[in-house]
Amino acid sequence: MSFLTLKFPRIAGRIELENCISRPTMSLSGCPHVANFKAVNGSSPYRLILTYFVSCSTQAAVKRKAQSCLCHVCGQLDLRLHSCLYCVFFGCYTAGHIHDHAKATKHNLAVDLTYGAVYCYSCGDYVYDQEFEAIAKEEKTKAAKFVGTPCSVHAFLSWEVTASEAQLLRQNPKRRKITSNSTIGLRGLINLGNTCFMNCIVQALTHTPLLRDFFLADKHHCQMASSDQCLVCEMSRVFQEFYSGLRSVHIPYRLLHLVWTHARHLAGYEQQDAHEFFIAALDVLHRHCKGHNGVSGNNPHLCNCIIDQIFTGGLQSDVTCQSCRGISTTVDPFWDISLDLGPSGSHSKSTLSSSSTSSAPIPNADLSVDSNSSGSSTSSGSVNNGDSGLLSPTGFEDVPTSLDDCLRRFTRPEHLGTNSKIKCSRCHSYQESTKQLTMKKLPLVACFHLKRFEHSNRFRKKISTFIAFPHELDMTPYVSSHRRANGIKNQSHSSTLLSTSDNKYSLFAVVNHHGTIETGHYTCYVRQHKDQWFKCDDALITKSSVQDVLHSEGYLLFYHKRILEYE
Amino acid sequence: MIEPVCCVADRRREKVHQNIKMDLSWKVKDVQMRAVINQKLIETGEKERLKELLRNKLIECGWRDQLKAHCKDVVRRKGIEHVTVDDLVAELTPKGRELVPDDVKKELLQRIKAFLAQQASI
Repeated sequence: MSFLTLKFPRIAGRIELENCISRPTMSLSGCPHVANFKAVNGSSPYRLILTYFVSCSTQAAVKRKAQSCLCHVCGQLDLRLHSCLYCVFFGCYTAGHIHDHAKATKHNLAVDLTYGAVYCYSCGDYVYDQEFEAIAKEEKTKAAKFVGTPCSVHAFLSWEVTASEAQLLRQNPKRRKITSNSTIGLRGLINLGNTCFMNCIVQALTHTPLLRDFFLADKHHCQMASSDQCLVCEMSRVFQEFYSGLRSVHIPYRLLHLVWTHARHLAGYEQQDAHEFFIAALDVLHRHCKGHNGVSGNNPHLCNCIIDQIFTGGLQSDVTCQSCRGISTTVDPFWDISLDLGPSGSHSKSTLSSSSTSSAPIPNADLSVDSNSSGSSTSSGSVNNGDSGLLSPTGFEDVPTSLDDCLRRFTRPEHLGTNSKIKCSRCHSYQESTKQLTMKKLPLVACFHLKRFEHSNRFRKKISTFIAFPHELDMTPYVSSHRRANGIKNQSHSSTLLSTSDNKYSLFAVVNHHGTIETGHYTCYVRQHKDQWFKCDDALITKSSVQDVLHSEGYLLFYHKRILEYE
Repeated sequence: MIEPVCCVADRRREKVHQNIKMDLSWKVKDVQMRAVINQKLIETGEKERLKELLRNKLIECGWRDQLKAHCKDVVRRKGIEHVTVDDLVAELTPKGRELVPDDVKKELLQRIKAFLAQQASI
């Protein structure tokens, strides 16, 4: 019942956060009865009750609390137990035993033993006293340290307005409330000459929830020599523009100029690839974020800038030697996943179908890649068969028709062929091997790039086949631990439990390409308010539906993780 | 106590009475059990950890925001001078209970069960 700790009247007493019409009843000095009590007894009775019965930070206090927190009248322990501040009498609030005590003894102050709030019988409500609040906070922090949950204490303390924030709020009296039909966050972008490739990515980025929260919370602290050369600062300004409430078209000329100066290959008025721009933009943003990574200083590969926090995942590549079954594993970071759309024969995947001599045992053999595979080949084989939906070769020869098809194909074991023998680190000989890619670490925002543009030496064409993509995507089947769990049965159920519940993603932006490989146009669907979709076509924004989105061709698909873990 | 009269109604009444007595003894045991469990939960610090977990889960699923919004509505409707914490508790408790997602309840139940199993084995 956390609403008991609402800091309502107090905040309202300091500043008018919301436009509260009525004046708060309580003055800043708080309840006079508490003041009287403090004048006579000081604040030590309150602190004592708190340290022994509310927020314990010693083993002795915990023991005492465990034994004595019972109503002195009825012996119950969970009817909102309160303690008299004068004589440490415990009574239920719900059953009224503490009320009876207060009436009989004229002890008009009681402490809630769950939260430490003080009830005044003369005022007829819980009261706030700055000194008591400070004591409660102090003891709570101590207790949390004692129990061993210190990190979350600071994370979830309710917001208390500092002097400078109060000043800011007073200087900016205008308040804006986001309602479910508000269009804040939607702004068209002028096309500055074939810049729809940029506009669609800007739309997708500005509607990435975590990125939006980062920028609107003013979290970027520029480390560049001059802030007007910093792309992150410019993005910050773009976010301000987008969420300012203005409905006019925004002209992203500064952004374009910065992109031109920092990613020279995109400069000029030619048509560009939106995917290329996306990667270039992330790269420049990531470079300009430098200086943010304080914690990860010891690990050069792990950057904790906002771009890496949101977009970076880890791709595990397991190369298995076909002769000794040794596996060498590497994990590489990725920002996006490019998925082949053509038939298996056309690309790198061709190796599997061409090496027909060995292709038959591969699907089963490959999956028992785990270290103990040779010993327990029968058991792992049977397990693999159970998972045939994922691994069976059927369907791979065909052209993929859905995002799941593509991802399955992406994470299946692939024979590297006779021409590309790799030196095995275990048996130190050049052997044929198979390679399997899986997701070691899922990014918070997963960007899928459907390779619709085919460049081969024979022809260049756009693949316009329809690829079905879901509104909600479960990435569990493509996670490394899941693939491995298939082979190893003794994995604790907790890990599988985690992996089933926590890898769900929901779609929040889709970039579409209209036209041919030579010339075309980009548009972007973005999600607002959880389930409203809008189509952004440069300066034009129109309302759309989720059906429209799911039936569109799809070039870049942006998914956002639904549940974020604590780090 | 009840006089032993050979009458169907009386026998029935006696039976009911017995049932009540049994119920009462169960209730006493239940209360004792709850007290012991509660004591263990507090002594080991598990209660604080569970509360922390619950708090995080409720924040995560939006429960806290929903309830906060509802609180604000109540305060606005009644006017800040005429609302007490008791009023809010009375209005929000049923709503608050109803809004807790089943997942959260399940997870907490599982944690408590695991804790009890672990305690029983010691």
